[in-house]
Amino acid sequence: MNGLNGIGVKVVHVGGNGNAHAVLREIEARLQLLVEKGEEGSIDLSGLPLMPEDYDLLEETLGEGEVVAEVHSLGPTRIHETGIPGVWWVTHYNSDDEVLAEFIEVAWCPEILLTPEDDVKDGLEALRARLFELNPKSPLGGAPSLDL
Amino acid sequence: MRDETLLDTLKRRGISRRGFLKFCATTASMLALPPAMAAEVAAALGKVRRPAVIWLSFQECTGCTESLTRAHSPSIESLIFDAISLDYHHTLQAASGHAAEEAREHSMKQDWGNYLLLVDGSIPLKDDGVYSTIAGISNLQMLKDAAAGAAAIVSVGTCAAYGGLPHANPNPTGAVSVSEIIKDKPIINVPGCPPIPAVLTGVLAHYLTFGAIPDLDDLGRPKAFFGESIHDRCYRRPFYDQGKFAKTFDDEGARNGWCLFELGCKGPTTHNACATTKWNGGTSWPVQSGHGCLGCSEPDFWDGGSFYKALSTPISPVTGAAAAAVAIGAAAGVAIGLANRQTKAAAKAAHQKATIADLEK
Repeated sequence: MNGLNGIGVKVVHVGGNGNAHAVLREIEARLQLLVEKGEEGSIDLSGLPLMPEDYDLLEETLGEGEVVAEVHSLGPTRIHETGIPGVWWVTHYNSDDEVLAEFIEVAWCPEILLTPEDDVKDGLEALRARLFELNPKSPLGGAPSLDL
Repeated sequence: MRDETLLDTLKRRGISRRGFLKFCATTASMLALPPAMAAEVAAALGKVRRPAVIWLSFQECTGCTESLTRAHSPSIESLIFDAISLDYHHTLQAASGHAAEEAREHSMKQDWGNYLLLVDGSIPLKDDGVYSTIAGISNLQMLKDAAAGAAAIVSVGTCAAYGGLPHANPNPTGAVSVSEIIKDKPIINVPGCPPIPAVLTGVLAHYLTFGAIPDLDDLGRPKAFFGESIHDRCYRRPFYDQGKFAKTFDDEGARNGWCLFELGCKGPTTHNACATTKWNGGTSWPVQSGHGCLGCSEPDFWDGGSFYKALSTPISPVTGAAAAAVAIGAAAGVAIGLANRQTKAAAKAAHQKATIADLEK
């Protein structure tokens, strides 16, 4: 996309097409489900054609929250909680920083931020291996083992 | 390698579980599946084996291959291409001459009955197919031989799907589509001139993920991408509904981004994913760039009259009832079972304005 910057294009925006309102109503419905039934949900932003003004309206209405996170796997994934707690904006990028997919997740925490259970099991083994390297004499790496 | 599943391929490449989750979410989005389906995508990817793919190029301009190699999300789509075994593609492969043809024959033999056959370009039938040959073999013969052992066929681009440009009047080579020759295999049409790369990779991802061909419309196109018209998903649609039309390419309406219907946009009769998937990494698409849709993913779009005449004007001056009847018959033959198209063709022949109600059928 580098070449595009070199082309003298004057972009004139003429207003949104109203689809942001539809997305905002869907977020409201999903948030109500989360509050009442604890049911999490996700909205694919590529599903409805949104114009730049619609994105602006979405961003302005939802606002900025307290949490910003980034996951590095298959290119970056940038996540922030919006000013409406429980409503997360999740954008998947490729390694060239182009948007692959964009979601509004209505959840206690976006799934991609939670550590997968199998990763935790692998992590425990990896930690024990490192402790063993520190102190090869003890089977558990020399540290007192704690019964949790 | 041949027996590993896509999940195995991803693991071997050191993709973490979060990366896999991202891959599945992105694939579900690409397949236009609801986000909740990502979990099903993940489950399916762990089971499906890596299919062999043979790609045959016939009477074509290589634009389809050009389009595909410019697929915009390299990390994800390259994973999909890692997940298939592309055994023959005479433009992309390093081997040439006898070695190339041997690779094709070897792959066909080894995976007989199981490989996926991709075809771009139409097939000339006139004069025994002499107008297009590869290694001395006519396209017709090569297609028949390769199709016999294929699990399914993907017709890539409008030429392979519907005959395309070579098929346009007066069709000097007698060009036809794959589906007019092969009748005994499932065929997925991915039309477009060229097709949107993400749509083709989406179809491959669907086949990889679920091990089956996707739901198709009555023209053999995957409903996930061709289920809605350009018009239905066009961001300029609200202007159409308000009756705000650009009358020329440089008037105030054009500058305000109003509907291009009167400038010949074929969006209302064209089914494709341009309006949502867009082109060049989501940068833009024809209507966003200020030009109407040409209708390139529909049969016979070259013979549909001027690209710059509104759909509601007739293709050619209608001189009598007989000519009108011929026009209706020809148009109806193309769009079998599509009542809305017939209505529009009839409207064209009778020189009536198609109403909004007609378009929304």
